[in-house]
Amino acid sequence: MTPFFFGESKNQLYGVLHPMQAGVKKPAAIVLCNPFGQEYMRSHRAYRQLAIMLSKQGYDVLRFDYRGTGDSALNLDQVNAHDWIDDIGVAIDEVKDIANVEQVNLIGLRLGGLLAASACTQREDIKSLILWDSFVSGKQYITELESQIEGEGLLSVNGELNSNYKNKSGIINFNGFSLSSDLQKSMKILNLMKMKFSGKKSIFNIISHEEAISFSFIEYMKEKNNFQSELIDAPHDWNYVDKYGGILLPQPIIQGIVNRLG
Amino acid sequence: MKERAVRVGRPSPLIGVVCEPEIIDVQRPAVLIFNSGVMHHIGSCRLSVKLARSFSDIGILSVRFDFSGIGDSNTRRGNGSFSKTAPLEAKEIMDYLQAKRGIKKFVLYGLCSGADAAYETALIDERVVAYSQIDAYCYKTPRFHYQYYKAKAFKIRCWVNLCKRLMTKVSSIKSYFVPKEDQKENEYLEPVSYIRSFPPKEDLRVGLSELVSRGVFMNIIFTGSEDDYGYADQYRESFKKVKFESYLDLHYFDKSTHIITHPDHQLKVVKTITDWLSYVVSQLENER
Repeated sequence: MTPFFFGESKNQLYGVLHPMQAGVKKPAAIVLCNPFGQEYMRSHRAYRQLAIMLSKQGYDVLRFDYRGTGDSALNLDQVNAHDWIDDIGVAIDEVKDIANVEQVNLIGLRLGGLLAASACTQREDIKSLILWDSFVSGKQYITELESQIEGEGLLSVNGELNSNYKNKSGIINFNGFSLSSDLQKSMKILNLMKMKFSGKKSIFNIISHEEAISFSFIEYMKEKNNFQSELIDAPHDWNYVDKYGGILLPQPIIQGIVNRLG
Repeated sequence: MKERAVRVGRPSPLIGVVCEPEIIDVQRPAVLIFNSGVMHHIGSCRLSVKLARSFSDIGILSVRFDFSGIGDSNTRRGNGSFSKTAPLEAKEIMDYLQAKRGIKKFVLYGLCSGADAAYETALIDERVVAYSQIDAYCYKTPRFHYQYYKAKAFKIRCWVNLCKRLMTKVSSIKSYFVPKEDQKENEYLEPVSYIRSFPPKEDLRVGLSELVSRGVFMNIIFTGSEDDYGYADQYRESFKKVKFESYLDLHYFDKSTHIITHPDHQLKVVKTITDWLSYVVSQLENER
């Protein structure tokens, strides 16, 4: 496993490469696209485990941080969703060079799914896209955040200053991460049901709980013969916050993805 | 500022990121930024990254890294507990920086379990000249007890909760109320590898006295989430026999959560620790 910085020297991205470990090298590499905020923190271990398991199947796998997140350059108030889609493109180019392959599979969890799908529509070198509990639209994500902070007072029941709120400038602060108005606006434009995927890419939609199933999205995509959807019952509370930074490891889905690509 | 990914040690290296200022002065200390709980090296709410870059702005090199078994660092063989292995791994990082960069003095930073590791490391390595902790070990004082029970005495809800707790102990009702979905969630949670256990207060008094006599600077911030901490000077009052004098820089952010989720508190924490670090560096330079 190799940590490294890549991309433009002034706006470097941090990534971790998991080179193939065993068996026959697969003809396509994999890029993992992160969710946002506390979801990213809580899924870090799951993504690492997924990368390790996929590398044992013969894949070169790259995990990376978008600009303004993780170890990558810049702060959150300096970036928007379009920058993140560009970053996915940079990560794809990087792993293709390192692994010496012509194609890449993208895997995206939650907002990462939406971003990966957007990147997918802009490129011809994506072999498959795996959406893991992806939002159907950025608007859905912002609405979900706003509904969770609605009605919250200035102080929590413990007397602490409430960290989940929307300020007068429209910035949403949620579990320690701030979404600027620009970032929110750029997220709201993204919509899986308005994206055009070429017939050659296969798209696999994994959902961890029935409540998350978007039947309209599945109906929309079902007509395309490269689309499949599967419910794999697994924990999905990515936004839970505790004192330790509790890590969620939904093994059934991790194994389901490995089986799918293996 | 420049950041580099590093792998330290073999055969199972510790993964980290070195954040370098424009000009590196090897006479200045470097900062080691420890993990908090099981969160990887960017820290709670990316706090470790913000701190590292703030330190770089004042000319201080830092490394944020993952202890073995946390974040991107693999587990290492051996059955040592975190409290035993963390200081040894911190020493590895210090040895690495000393060998590669010629830096011989170090400042440690940690939140929660990281705070514990900072204290334990300082005790065993004299290269540590200072440390910064968020929610360090703390102990109740008579004033804490007075404030705590006074606040609760007139709240009916507290008496109701007390009765419920007493009833729960008698009838074990509580175990029936764990929802089935919560049990399933627990099955897929990575278990915390370190359970915080405060040492006996006298042990800490001895340790702190030793560190103060060595001239180690301490910056300690307590948050409102620390249940056993109730007022600004509690730490100093807990250890009246320790002659902290100007070596202790103590703060109480009573409205802050343990993992510093509010953006204003994040800014305040970064500024407080960076200002303190500037002070430490100037003191060390005066001593030279």
